[in-house]
Amino acid sequence: MLNFIIRRLGLAIPSLLILIIISFVLMHSAPGGPFTSEKPLPPIVLANIEAKYGLDKPLPIQIANYVWGIVTDFDFGPSFRYKDRTVNDIIEVGFPVTIKYGFWSFLFAVTVGVFLGVVAALRHNTWADYTAVGIAIGGSVLPNFVMAPLLVLLFTVKLGWLPGGGWEGGQIQFLILPVIALSTSYLAGIARITRSSMLEVLHSNFIRTAKAKGLPSSYIIWRHALKPAMLPMLSYLGPAFVGMVTGSMIIDQYFSTGGIGLHFVNGALNRDYSTIMGITILVGTLTIVFNMLVDIMYAWIDPKIRY
Amino acid sequence: MKTITRSLAAGIVGVALASTPALATHKTHPVTGEVLSDNQTYTYVSIDESSSLDPGLIEDVSGAAVARDLFEGLLTQNADGTLAPGVATRYTTNADKTVYTFHLRRNARWSNGDPVTAHDFEFAWKRAVSPELASPYSWYMEIMSIKNGAAVINGEKDKDELGAKALDDYTFQVTLEASLPYFPSMVVHTTTMPVPTKIVNAFGDEWTKPGNMVSNGAYVLSEHVLNERQSRVRNDLYWNNDATILDKVTTVIIQDENAAFNRYIAGEVDQTAPPSGQFNALKKSMPNDVHTNPRLCTYYYNFNMDAAPFDDKRVRQALSYTIPRDIIIDNILQGGQIPAYTFTPGATANFTVPEVAFGMMTQAERDAAAVKLLAEAGYSKSNPLKATILYNTSEGHKNIAIATSQMWKQKLGVEITLENQEWKTFLATKGAGDFEIARAGWCGDYNEASTFLDLVNSESGYNDSNYNNPVVDKLLAEAKTMSDPNGNYTQIEKIIADDMPIAPIYHYTGNMLLKPYVKGYPFNNVEGNWYSRNMYITAH
Repeated sequence: MLNFIIRRLGLAIPSLLILIIISFVLMHSAPGGPFTSEKPLPPIVLANIEAKYGLDKPLPIQIANYVWGIVTDFDFGPSFRYKDRTVNDIIEVGFPVTIKYGFWSFLFAVTVGVFLGVVAALRHNTWADYTAVGIAIGGSVLPNFVMAPLLVLLFTVKLGWLPGGGWEGGQIQFLILPVIALSTSYLAGIARITRSSMLEVLHSNFIRTAKAKGLPSSYIIWRHALKPAMLPMLSYLGPAFVGMVTGSMIIDQYFSTGGIGLHFVNGALNRDYSTIMGITILVGTLTIVFNMLVDIMYAWIDPKIRY
Repeated sequence: MKTITRSLAAGIVGVALASTPALATHKTHPVTGEVLSDNQTYTYVSIDESSSLDPGLIEDVSGAAVARDLFEGLLTQNADGTLAPGVATRYTTNADKTVYTFHLRRNARWSNGDPVTAHDFEFAWKRAVSPELASPYSWYMEIMSIKNGAAVINGEKDKDELGAKALDDYTFQVTLEASLPYFPSMVVHTTTMPVPTKIVNAFGDEWTKPGNMVSNGAYVLSEHVLNERQSRVRNDLYWNNDATILDKVTTVIIQDENAAFNRYIAGEVDQTAPPSGQFNALKKSMPNDVHTNPRLCTYYYNFNMDAAPFDDKRVRQALSYTIPRDIIIDNILQGGQIPAYTFTPGATANFTVPEVAFGMMTQAERDAAAVKLLAEAGYSKSNPLKATILYNTSEGHKNIAIATSQMWKQKLGVEITLENQEWKTFLATKGAGDFEIARAGWCGDYNEASTFLDLVNSESGYNDSNYNNPVVDKLLAEAKTMSDPNGNYTQIEKIIADDMPIAPIYHYTGNMLLKPYVKGYPFNNVEGNWYSRNMYITAH
């Protein structure tokens, strides 16, 4: 196992390097630059600015300088858009926001999704099953950019219970609507996967054996059925977790939460090269780490898997 | 000492109020006598986070609005946009108006208690033009005609040679390369605002962060969460603090106009823009909230004059004549915009819109003339003119391009291809001259016609049509030093209405929703400049 982890970490570094190079090249090949604006800058001013940010150097040197800055000082460079911020600043402020609503969304999606899936499987072809499946399908066909305005219309405009946006340090009333809006589609996915794999497990031989032994059904579900039923879900949860904690452009845009999801998209539109790079590396690293964690958990859940 | 006595007094009033709740004495506005709300906070929506709050670097409207609250320049504006004393109480000029001497008030202070001196202005101005700061607005200092401004920006001269000098702590002298009649109105702009020398030197790029930032305006920055909110609170050390009524002003960043509208309805924000397409409906359902006023902005199409067919004046005229301006305004925009036949909006100070020939015709007359012009240029239904309209991706621009191209097809048989590009790609394509017809919008940087007409100067970097008319260039150069350049501006407008390097379509209006209890918003300020210190909240 230790060998496996070391090997995976060893692979992570070249993967990240390739990610950096590809992103860098793609970014620079998009027309326009961070300082292209409707009122074009006089060439001399543009030259001054480009010199200030090192954009006047050849691309390979820029990439090398960039990577060197990260390796030596963990410095992701200054934002080209927000003149008084570094990318480290932006991530430092924005990432805790997305982690907070992402984590609660994840918890909510997993708890409710697994519960719905299990109930649906146990009460197969009853009203409980149909309700759970109905919720799951409803959740998948209502994307978060539809959910968000609907929630605000109901809870903010009509009922006046919750604020329609803002963050204010992440107090609970500002958290509820973003969490619901972000988690619904994940919740639906989790419920569907749990239901079908649970159904499959419940029909397998070892469960029949457990039943034949006369074990109580709650014990069978908790002790024997749930763990193997979770296996297909794990591969879904890894990327889902990364997707949620790295934020959502829709959530940040609609609820003005100030998370990094919006910075990522705005970074691309503004050609804020350093911000795009910083967030790409963050998301890339998280993806690699969580995929590795999922692989480790596979081995823990399924004794047949060996690395 | 002052603050101590004030809080003591507030305490006494508080006790008095607590003991006699029925006689709660609400404050009233000193001039109008309106009863003021106890909660003097104003929250408004900005669609975008500003790129900087450093006066030397600010390049966007939202950042400039914050800076006008935080900083005060040599001169400032009254609510209606007329000039008012700022840090300078008065100024004098020499006979040929090339040297301006500003006399600064002694009681102007930074929010840390330091006096605001002429040296802070000298430092700020030199900093704004320095290649080290590389400000995207350094060109503003160049068009102010400050001596050596252009040379410093170009790196040919040291910034210490800039014609801006502190003669002593309270006297600031500016030397111009040539007289500029509207120079005083230019020192209101954010780029010319002072910065606290000591603080900037101590914190470098990070001086604008809350906690570090020290400012000299009516407000100080208290909170700034990127892409979420910026808050500013009353500056107790501002020289005219007693006249300020609003205690706290907050900008919330909401990129989605419908989300902003919902939060306006829910009472979370006091101001926002009406979501597109809803202006007319809102005017009926919330007449007290909807406001519209002319702005110094023009929407137009650029013709690329470098290549056929748009090197032919008749083609440009024919197309401009048949743009359905009224349909675009009445059916697409629906926000009370003004059809444009000149480049400079009529709302511009000291500018009278000239009666240009094609603006005087009816649409039917224009259409008839256009058919003739295009036939003369050699195009007909059997040999149709083909062209592409380039615009940046947006529903609004698309609808205008569709309406225009349909009308061109119907009236002239012109075959138009629509091409949209993402913003930065669009700018790059347009900048490279790789277009036939390109959508454009321009907002004045200051309230004077030259902020528009400079664009048709053959030397201008913003002259996307690549229009080159020596007569226009000469009239523009003369206008720079004339005490009343209106005659020249009128003449230029008449020439470009004939040469038609651009096709003006409409002049913008500023539309917004503002809660009826927010008072003092300067709707008459065509530059859209507003100052929180002039605003207040009435009891509601």
